Amino acid sequence: MISDLELAARVAGSNDQAAFQQLVERHQAPIRGFLRRLLAGDHGTADDLAQETFLIAYRKIPGWKAEGTFTSWLHTIAYRQFLQFRRKHKRQQVMAEPPDAGFDPGQAVDAEILLPRLMRLVSADERACLTLAYAAGMSHPEIVAITGLPLGTVKSHISRGRQKLQQWLKDNDHSFQTAGPDPASEARHA
Amino acid sequence: MPESTQDRLLDQLLEYGEEPQGDEFVLDVMHRVRREQGRRKVILFVFGLIGALFGLTGAVLLSEPIARALANLPAMGTTQVALFVVAAVATYAWFMNEDIDLTV
Repeated sequence: MISDLELAARVAGSNDQAAFQQLVERHQAPIRGFLRRLLAGDHGTADDLAQETFLIAYRKIPGWKAEGTFTSWLHTIAYRQFLQFRRKHKRQQVMAEPPDAGFDPGQAVDAEILLPRLMRLVSADERACLTLAYAAGMSHPEIVAITGLPLGTVKSHISRGRQKLQQWLKDNDHSFQTAGPDPASEARHA
Repeated sequence: MPESTQDRLLDQLLEYGEEPQGDEFVLDVMHRVRREQGRRKVILFVFGLIGALFGLTGAVLLSEPIARALANLPAMGTTQVALFVVAAVATYAWFMNEDIDLTV
């Protein structure tokens, strides 16, 4: 398989659109997933921001210095897009729906429904740090590079965010259903 | 619920996610990329053309004094050289696809 670096070099060097398409195919899932979590389940906006992320990546790929991984670079762009979106829409923001509104505590619920609600319980920065750490599997230094937050702040966002979610699960004694075993996740735990 | 089970549940929940897939998203991105590429080419062509016109006008206007200065060079020859230089620069810019940042 051709590496991201090589594909990026092809895009930068000869404007190879097929190479860029491969990069989009390869990275669309994590970037869309990341933005969906940051936006607490607003899939439409998340996908719009993800498209914008890839378009910016396409424009800036000749200037990419390949200091980190391509995926970290994409996450950085995506996170900035999210911050920009949040700044633009700050005034329009409505009070977040409490995470337990709308369903019966204690009842098994689908994780796809529960997760966006849980994400609304933590701040946007906590959401970003938790998602990068647990869903994207990134290290603390990588999260620092993506978010631009100091290492101590990243660590405290992760632990405080996790505490909040744990507390909520404890208070509501939730169980949830997943759509089936995720082989990648199982392999990571093995 | 025991704390370890809860931890495991939370880990699973945070990691869990049916990853969004779909060719439609990729096609949309590539469509926007191609559109931007087209727009870039149009801008480059328009500016190249303007540059060439200015170059040509300048060459025509200045050909007489330059020819006089270079002593007995025919005016038409100087125009042709100027035109050739401008065209070469425009072609170079076109083929090198110089990046123009379209963001505002």
